[in-house]
Order: sequence, then C-alpha cells, then structure tokens
Amino acid sequence: MKKIRMGAVAAIAGVAVAMTGCAGSGGASGSGDDGTIVVDMWAGSADDTKALEAQIKIAQEQNPDLKIELRTAPWGDFFTKLTTNMASGNMACVTGMNSGMLSSYTDGFAELSAADLKTAGLAESDFAPGATEILKNKGTMYGLPFDVATMLVYFNADQLAASGAATPAPGWTFDDFEATAKAATSNGKAGFAVGMGDFQWQALPIAKAGLQPVSADGELQLTDKKFVEAATWYGDLVSAQKVALPVASASDTGWGENQYSSGNAAMAVDGTWNAVSYLANESGFAAGMAPLPSEGGESLSLILGSGFGISKTCENKEDALKVLGSLLSADAQDYIASSGRSYPARAESQPLYFESIDEKYRAQVEEVFTAAFENVQGQYVSDNWSKVGTYVQPQLVSVYNGQETMAKVLESAQQQFAN
Amino acid sequence: MTANVPRRRSLAKVEGRQALGFATPALVGLALFTIVPVVLSVVMSFFDWPTFGEKTFIGIDNYIRLFTASPDFWPAMRNTAVFTILYVPLNVGLSLVLAMALGPRIRGRGALRVLFFIPVVTPMVANVLVWKMLLQPQGLFNGASESWFGVTLPNFLADPQWAMIMVVIMSVWQGVGYNMLIFSAALEQLPESVMEAARIDGASGLRMQLSIVVPMISPAVFFATIMTMITALQVFVQPQLLTGGGPGNATQPLVQFIYNQGFKFQELGLAAAGAWILFALIIVITALQFGAQKKWVHYEH
Repeated sequence: MKKIRMGAVAAIAGVAVAMTGCAGSGGASGSGDDGTIVVDMWAGSADDTKALEAQIKIAQEQNPDLKIELRTAPWGDFFTKLTTNMASGNMACVTGMNSGMLSSYTDGFAELSAADLKTAGLAESDFAPGATEILKNKGTMYGLPFDVATMLVYFNADQLAASGAATPAPGWTFDDFEATAKAATSNGKAGFAVGMGDFQWQALPIAKAGLQPVSADGELQLTDKKFVEAATWYGDLVSAQKVALPVASASDTGWGENQYSSGNAAMAVDGTWNAVSYLANESGFAAGMAPLPSEGGESLSLILGSGFGISKTCENKEDALKVLGSLLSADAQDYIASSGRSYPARAESQPLYFESIDEKYRAQVEEVFTAAFENVQGQYVSDNWSKVGTYVQPQLVSVYNGQETMAKVLESAQQQFAN
Repeated sequence: MTANVPRRRSLAKVEGRQALGFATPALVGLALFTIVPVVLSVVMSFFDWPTFGEKTFIGIDNYIRLFTASPDFWPAMRNTAVFTILYVPLNVGLSLVLAMALGPRIRGRGALRVLFFIPVVTPMVANVLVWKMLLQPQGLFNGASESWFGVTLPNFLADPQWAMIMVVIMSVWQGVGYNMLIFSAALEQLPESVMEAARIDGASGLRMQLSIVVPMISPAVFFATIMTMITALQVFVQPQLLTGGGPGNATQPLVQFIYNQGFKFQELGLAAAGAWILFALIIVITALQFGAQKKWVHYEH
C-alpha cells in the first residue's frame, strides 16, 4: 500500500513538473532557454504578417547570433492576449504597443533609459519631431515608434463631383466640411460616415474644440464645455443634420471606415495609416484626402503611432534591445516607407514613403501629410483611458440614434473614470 | 465460503489500486484544471486583483461594489434575466412543437430535422454575420419592407428595445434544433402499449399530445429546460457579436460584464466576484427546478 501511495505521489509530482515545464518552455519571459527573442505584434491580415516578417528578417540579418520569433494576433485580440500574457508573466521580450493603449500597460514595460537606447543603437534625434513622445507616459519612455500617424478626412472624389459638392483641401474650415457633407448627402448616399473607434470619432471634436478630452497632466476632462459642444455637434451630424447614417450596431467598430470604403458615404475620418489602402480601394472610386478642418483658423490634431517596447520580465534585455534597435533601424524603416505601409517614425526614411505612392496621388499625399503633421500634439491619456473607450463606444450608438445625448454620455464617463 | 471472503477482499484491494492508477491522470487533470482554478477564483474575488501589480485583500468589497457602485452590474443582471425569461420558454416550446410536428407521417422528416439542426453546428460567428446582414438598416428585411410596403423598419440592433428581442430571436433560431433532436428522440421511444391504450380510451389529437405524450416525455423536457436555462444564463457570444452589448448597455449580459471587467478593465477580483454571483444564481435556479420537478415530471419506475 505504501509503495502504491509513493507511486501515486511520484506520478502526480511527475505530471506537475512536466506541466510546469511546458508552461516554462512557452517562454515565461518571452525569451526561451535557447535565447530566442520573441516579438509580439498585431497583424490583421496576411499582408500585415508578411510585412512584419520582412522586418523580422532585417532584424535577423543584423543579429545573426540571435534567434528571433514573431507572434501575431489581430488588433482586437492582441490587447486581450497581452493582458493575459502580462498577468501570467509570459509577455514577449519585444512587444508591440500603440500610443492610445499604453497607459493601461505601462506596468508590463521596462522604462527605456538613454543607455538602453545606446545599446539598441538608437538616438532620439533619429526620429521625427514629436515621435519619441508617442510611447511616453507621464514623461517616462516605454517604447519607440516605428510609425507616426495623424487623422485625416478621406473623401470619395467621384461622389463629391457627382453631387456638385466642394472638394476638401488643406486650409478648409468646419463650415466647408458641413457644406460638403450636406451637398454630398443625396441619392441614398450619406455625405459623411461617423466613427465608432476612439480616434475616428474623437478627431473632429478635438479639432473643433481645440483641446483634448484629457489634460496634459493626465486628468480626464470629458465634460469640458468646449469639448462637449464639439462632440455634441459631431453626434448631431447623424441625428439633427442627417448628413450621416445611424450606426447599425454597437459591434460595428469600424462603421465609418466601412461605410466610406463600400461607397455609401462621401467622407470619413481615419488615420494616415490607411492612406494607401484608401487610394487603391477595391470599390474603384477616386479617393482623396485632406487634413482635419479648422475652426477659427486653428485645427488641433493628435500625433499617434505604434512601436515596440521591452517587457519588464524579459531575461535577455540586452539582446531584446538589439532586436528593438534593428526593428527601428534605417533599413527596417526604409522598408516600411518604401512599401507604403505606414509613415515611418524615422525622419530620414519619411521621404521614401511619398516615393512609394502612385504618381497621380503623390503630390496630394505629400501636401496633405505635410499640412496635417504641422499642428499635431502628442495624445494625452488618463490612467483609465482604455476604460473610457470601452464604455463610450456602445453608448455612441444611442447618441447617433438620438436616444441619448452626447453630454450625458460624456458626463457619465467622466464620473466613472475620472482619476 | 469463509475462505473465499479474504480472497475477495484482497482482490477488491488490488482492483481498487489498479483503478486508482488508471484514474490518477484524470484526477490530476481535474485538480489542476478544475479544482485549483475554482479555488483560485474564490480567493481572487476577495482581493483587489489587477492583472498585474499589487494584489490587496479587501474581503467582500468586490461583492458590495458590484451591488452598490457598479453602474453596469444591475443592468447586466436585468439583461440576463430578460434574455432567460424570453429565450427558455420560446426555445423549449418551439422545439417541442417542431419535434411533434415532424412526426412519423411527415415525408422527408429526416431532411427537415437536419435543416433545423444546421444552425446548431454552424459557427456562431457565421450565424451572427448573416443575421447582421438581415437586420441592419441597409439589410434584407428593411430593404424588402421599404420596396414592397414603403415602410421603414426600426434600426433593430441599435434600438434599446429591439436589440434584446433580436438577440433572443437569433438565439432561438440558432438553438432550437438541439432541443428538437432531444424531444424527437424521446418521442421515438414512447411505449406503443401506452399509446395504444390511450387510443382505445378515445384520446386523439391535441388531447393525446397534452395528456399522454407530453407527460410521457416530461423527463426529456425537464432535462432540456435545465440545460437551456443554464446556457441562457451564460449567454455571451450572441450579444457580444450581434450588438456589442449595446446600444449603451441594453443587451450586455452578466457574462459579457464579467468579461469586460476582467479583460478590458483588468479588474480580475471584480470579475471573479461577478462570476461567483452568476454561479450562485445558476445553482439556486437549478435547485428550484429540481425541487419543482416532482410536480410535473413523470418517471417510469
């Protein structure tokens, strides 16, 4: 009997050890025992994954002694997965991060010092003005960006021409925007498509109000009078002015962008990261772009972007920094720029982006990008910023349908999520 | 006889040991993947437990916070209750009627059963996509209504009242085939002698169904009701994908609330407390159903 008990205990212990081993080899710290550096990044399509693989290849060539492994998940799942990985101490050494999401994940990232940047072979001066602010939170740097972005108004030039609406151009005002949206609302098509994503719906209210819904020191200010007025105006585009279609469901997170892409709406707001795909859209319409309109001669826009940071739990920080450095090296950035995927964060690589654009659009893109990045401000976020987004998004549907006021939604979010 | 007893005992002992040996891997799995997480989640519900960072013991504060300070908790409870109250009777009733209607006299009933069962095995994401295309303002229903009758239908998934009704209708459509199959199997097993006796006594038509057939298959109805009730209380995918829990929080059920607290707001302690409240609800309702079964479920002894 004793023997059997011992046997059972040994069996249980064996299984337990084996299971612990399994968990460990999954890369408890994102760097396996064989020194593999794991890079975790979002990728929503085969094209995204292919582009990331090309960058990993560059990093691999620059660090032949290291083994680099890429892991991906779609944008929506990436942050859920990241939360789980962080909670279980399983975060990849080099992890992708976005400016709007950083505040919820600072605990998982190692602070990057000047010495770290040196190890990575990078300098702040390599990047475009303002770019190193993208992955900073309350003055601490948690990562460096591979791209910079801002929000633009994209338009269906064919639809605008057919309805006789004026074409948006740099320097246009909110009055011009309204006039264009009204004129383009005809024949069952809407002049504008409202956004559901944080950046997509907030861009115009921020530009109109001239301020962000969070103060520079990280305090939530959703109930600021100017912002409430501008946001109310935005909701009224659907419910009062009727120049935009009401959203079909709160689960339609990419509503505005989809309406625009499928040719149901003449204008939509989206990031510069989608410029190329909109220009070469599958619906086949002639697309154009313009910076956000201005109010009283001023227009505020956010500088956004995504990049990579090093996880706090990474065992091979030095190797991880080298990989980070390679992923943001001139070669990798030139690749991003010349493939037209996004506007690179490295200043020297930025001209290559315009060269990648189809010649007939090149001048327009360069003019609009130059104008749009002229008056940008780093995004301010509060500690609970991602909760605000999660709360507000399903409420927006009620606002657009006229069942709830924007002021009430913003007030409720302010009450719940103010620091 | 007396010599056989010790031998039997020792045989039983050996067999018992062998059985333990075979059961050990399963028991280890049960301990690691069921008992440990369950215990951990109880512990978690008494802590302020962020996904990362300092964990603090706060007693029953999470439970108090849910009931008194969380703006979405009571609406989530209400939504779960509304969904369950609408979904369970509709699902059980409709599947029972379907199973009875597809009786032996119906031609091609096998094919019809397959048709009704298809939504059960189709991935939910695909089902939801189809329903979204039907229900949105530019969708099939509104398009047909506008062109045939000139009537514009409501924006079903964005209207607080309609959204929940549509989640229920879509769920019933999706789940009705499963219970129908259970009832069909029970109907096939009805003892011919009892049916014959009932017929001789003059029972037929609706009377036959209500007084003879339904009581005879009441154990199957009971089983289906219990299981459907539990799945209804745990509803998540349909509102998550069809309405995103919105508009506002009009269709956010308890499980989606728990999911948001845990994975979006990173408050695992609060999520665990919510999960235990849901567990308690399910246990209480199931126990009540078991208590009530004596009055209406007839077992053949």
